[in-house]
Amino acid sequence: MSARIEIAAEQPSRKPGRMSEFWNDVGYLARRYPLGVAGAIIMVIFVFAAVFAGTVAPLDPFTTNPRASLAPPGSKYLMGADMMGRDVFSRMIHGARISLAVSLGATFLGSGFGAALGLASGYVGGWFDLLVQRVAEIMQSLPLLVMALVITASLGPSLPNTIIAIAIPLIPNVARVIRSNVLSLREMPFVEAAKATGMSEFRIAVIHVLPNTLAPLIVLATAQLGSTILTEASLSFLGLGVPEPWPSWGRMLSESAAEYVRTAPWLVIFPGLAISLVVFGTNLLGDALRDALDPRQRD
Amino acid sequence: MGFVARLLMACLLTLCAGTAHAQKQGGVLRVTHRDNPPSASIHEEATISTDMPFMAVFNNLVVFDSDSKQNRLDRILPDLATSWKLSDDDKTLTFQLRDGVKWHDGKPFTSADVKCTWDVVSGKVDGKMRKNPHKTWWFNVKEITVNGPLEVAFHLTDPQPSLLVMLAGGFAPVYPCHVPAAQMRTHPIGTGPFKFVEFKQNESIRLERNPQYWKPGRPYLDGIEYSIIANRSTAILALVAGKFDLTLTGEVTPELVKDVKAQVPQMECLVQPSNTQGNLLVNRERPPFDNPLIRRVLSLSIDRKAFSDILSRGVYNIGGAMLAPPEGLWGWSPEFMATVPGYGADVEKSREEGRRIMRELGYGPDKMMPLKVSTRNIADYRDASVILIDHLKTVYIQGELEPLDSSVWYARLARKDYAVGMNVQGTGIDDPDVQFFENYLCGSERNYTSYCNADLEKLYHQQSMMKDQDARRKLVWEIDRKLQEDGARPVVYQSQGGTCWWPQVKGLKLAVNSIYNHWRFEDVWLDR
Amino acid sequence: MLSYIIRRLLLMVVTLFDVSITIFLLLRIVPGNIADILFDSAGLIDPAEKQKIIADLGLDKSLPVQYAQWILGLFRGDLGFSYVSEKPVIDEILPRIPITARLAGLALLFAIAMGVPLGVISAVRQNTGLDYALRVLSLSGLSMPSFWLGLLILMAFVHYFGTIPIYDRAPANFWAWLQMLVIPAAAVGFRSAALIMRLTRSSMLEVLRQDYVRTARSKGLSDGSVTYNHALRNAVLPVITVIGVETAFLMGGLIVTETVFNIPGVARFLVEAIRWRDYPMVQNLVMFIALVVVVVNLIVDLAYMFVDPRIRYSE
Repeated sequence: MSARIEIAAEQPSRKPGRMSEFWNDVGYLARRYPLGVAGAIIMVIFVFAAVFAGTVAPLDPFTTNPRASLAPPGSKYLMGADMMGRDVFSRMIHGARISLAVSLGATFLGSGFGAALGLASGYVGGWFDLLVQRVAEIMQSLPLLVMALVITASLGPSLPNTIIAIAIPLIPNVARVIRSNVLSLREMPFVEAAKATGMSEFRIAVIHVLPNTLAPLIVLATAQLGSTILTEASLSFLGLGVPEPWPSWGRMLSESAAEYVRTAPWLVIFPGLAISLVVFGTNLLGDALRDALDPRQRD
Repeated sequence: MGFVARLLMACLLTLCAGTAHAQKQGGVLRVTHRDNPPSASIHEEATISTDMPFMAVFNNLVVFDSDSKQNRLDRILPDLATSWKLSDDDKTLTFQLRDGVKWHDGKPFTSADVKCTWDVVSGKVDGKMRKNPHKTWWFNVKEITVNGPLEVAFHLTDPQPSLLVMLAGGFAPVYPCHVPAAQMRTHPIGTGPFKFVEFKQNESIRLERNPQYWKPGRPYLDGIEYSIIANRSTAILALVAGKFDLTLTGEVTPELVKDVKAQVPQMECLVQPSNTQGNLLVNRERPPFDNPLIRRVLSLSIDRKAFSDILSRGVYNIGGAMLAPPEGLWGWSPEFMATVPGYGADVEKSREEGRRIMRELGYGPDKMMPLKVSTRNIADYRDASVILIDHLKTVYIQGELEPLDSSVWYARLARKDYAVGMNVQGTGIDDPDVQFFENYLCGSERNYTSYCNADLEKLYHQQSMMKDQDARRKLVWEIDRKLQEDGARPVVYQSQGGTCWWPQVKGLKLAVNSIYNHWRFEDVWLDR
Repeated sequence: MLSYIIRRLLLMVVTLFDVSITIFLLLRIVPGNIADILFDSAGLIDPAEKQKIIADLGLDKSLPVQYAQWILGLFRGDLGFSYVSEKPVIDEILPRIPITARLAGLALLFAIAMGVPLGVISAVRQNTGLDYALRVLSLSGLSMPSFWLGLLILMAFVHYFGTIPIYDRAPANFWAWLQMLVIPAAAVGFRSAALIMRLTRSSMLEVLRQDYVRTARSKGLSDGSVTYNHALRNAVLPVITVIGVETAFLMGGLIVTETVFNIPGVARFLVEAIRWRDYPMVQNLVMFIALVVVVVNLIVDLAYMFVDPRIRYSE
């Protein structure tokens, strides 16, 4: 890939050993894509907090404590306490886990299905292609939030249902992009060559065409990551997303917290800040990845 | 004194009397509202969302005296009925009706309208209502007869002193014969001080003054406007900013009342019982609560004070099915309450007992019993459920919250497809007849858990017929205790809510044992 | 050209038809219907009484029959009756559309007025501190949940001005409308502004690098006129792109913003209708939204062809 070639070309004097090689690469990336690395750092912190929530969070996010209700930020409750006396900071950390689960789950599901559909429809063509196009057109006529609303209303509020509801509207976007990529790749010489050697269509699709769609797919997926987090927040804010008792950042902002806009503003500030920061991180990372992997789309 | 002099004296006196009150005519009262009313027909609804805005459109036969803070049987005043008489066998209640009253569309009010209304709501005649939530209130009405256009009689199967109480409440307006139920849901016609103008779904409700109201000089207001604001916090902020004069009753939590008074010290706020209780629906037909021991463990684990502390900073009352004194008329005295199992002060001891029972059943801290706690997917319900789950942990029960969309909730209740549900319910009137017959009678529609106890039902009927209210109260206490002992529907808390209004709103009188009964607004005036 | 438009219009009709089937079916998978909702507010669960309502509303007929009734009604202009308010759906939807339209229009206006100039500045001053600051600003616009922004604005107003810019009654005249909608429009439009800023910037950068600009510069035209005459024309394209792409996302932003600021528009009404399982209302609202999205897409594609003659659709 182009980035690695440039790294090799610009670093003539390399110290031996793979670790130092790794840090050299990181240093190079940091200088070349500072914003991207910043984004990556945010994402690492986010993932770390999400995965190790149990150990990182100082208190249990589910225990109610009437005496601590609406406590302001202080030494015990770093970000204050909510109406039930639960520690906001701990709930935020566990909320990271929920956001990560939903966004990763929805993005993988949506991008995976979308890529498969796009690959198949672009490569196979014919009536299958037309059918997929029709379905994609229908799903794209409806705004993401509206579709997600109707789906969660129909399936009921739960964690898996939220993931499904957000994944489904992602599929057409991904399918479309992958499909147009595949269409152009299909005419390329190396595919013709592969055909000439008698390789089956399926093998050609998977071994030759698919890897070349990976770059735009990764860029697309990273961009989708941010929007899935925002959609989950909106759904939970409207009361139709992740239910109690899981702490979802979006739901922390909804009724119960917005109740105390004047008396306990920390209930509104911190969860929203977390959402914005994480999405900001994905956007930074996505921008940098796009610059690095897909020069055609460069700024 | 000469005749002219006496005339002048009389004039001066009436003038003085007039200026002493100094009620001002005019002005439109602006009220915040929280939830879209399902319809405008009070007889078809059981929610304050419909009752508060539309009560001003109607009159009842009788009303509670607004000068009495408690809604009670001995403080009932005439409304459309000028007087009433009970027959010697206490089974016939005859009302003399007011002459010259007109409906908002000009047609005259007669006894036929009273008969129409109660024939329909008691279920004798099909009035094409979509639903009838208060049908059980009128179970005792055998027949309604009219004697001329100004006299109507209710014939009862058994004596029932509480009938008058139910007729005085907000949910007993008189409907016109000539207007179909469908129209009453969208454009109600009444005899009341205010006429219906419009109802924009999810947006606003507007009423205007009825210039032909049968009480001279009333109402003082030109109109009332309700704006529906779904977010409680924004509604209260708007009140404080002066965009509204009054909040929906019970809207302001005790916590927020403190905040409002801190921002606007002159704001009038009243925190009072809303006659809404949080209780547990326990499914006795399915495991695990088909086992009476586990039902007992459930009631032993509850720390009622914690519910009150968390949900209201300690303001909520603790009691049984009937509203606790001093506001409630029929709730236990503190001495009596101490004798009811599960209401003892030592929560830790109760929980230790609960743990002991669970250990005997084979459970322990490493082997917790899994349990699904179902509830409606609404903030108040969910918050209470979260606290419940916390308490269940202390007796080795691992609760998992199952929030259900409202429509699904009631469907599951009907199918008995749940283990335990956290329920929040309001009672229209502070009266044992209403409470027992609506919720605990075999086969009653609101008896979600199908709790059936023939012996207790005899007692319900017995207390219903008693004339001596003190003796009746003792019997009601006993019934209430048995209900709690039996775990019929363990009551967890009795909520209080606040109503706030700017000082320029005058003449507003609230009751302490119900939120549903004083929204005629005919005596309210604006001082601005 | 004309044949292209006709083909697109036909496609539009087919798409809308498909959308109608999809939303119709989706709603009916939903457990619970209006009878359940009506009864739950009264706390009743009698199945027999519920059946009566269901029969009255025709909910017990088979699905194809119900669907046919709806679609045939649509052709006659009869959108059916709301289950909740029992009034014709048209009477409920029509007055609310202008409110949301005004909000959306103001938001787009705000987005263009903020996004285009800032995007141009950012491109012209590429890689300076100002450019970085603006890029961070635009990224935060894309990262913030619009309802959070709305909540923060409300909090700020309450804290600093003691007022609260929510909708409490119908404004009397045009200026009152403007006053009422300008803040929520800013909350909704912030995200679109950010997107326009980014696209304008990248489009400008591409153009600024190209030969004909260098040629114009070498001919002696001032920097200013080069920027504003040649390069800016190409900023129009990203604005059109955003309008097309963002219509869908804007709808989502409208839903939550109308909720936060209590505006009685069509978007907030949709959420309420879904909660109430008011099928006629939800079906028609979703169709309306789909219609708007599809029409906007068509206009955007046509505008593309108009602005950039190099783009032609051969498909």
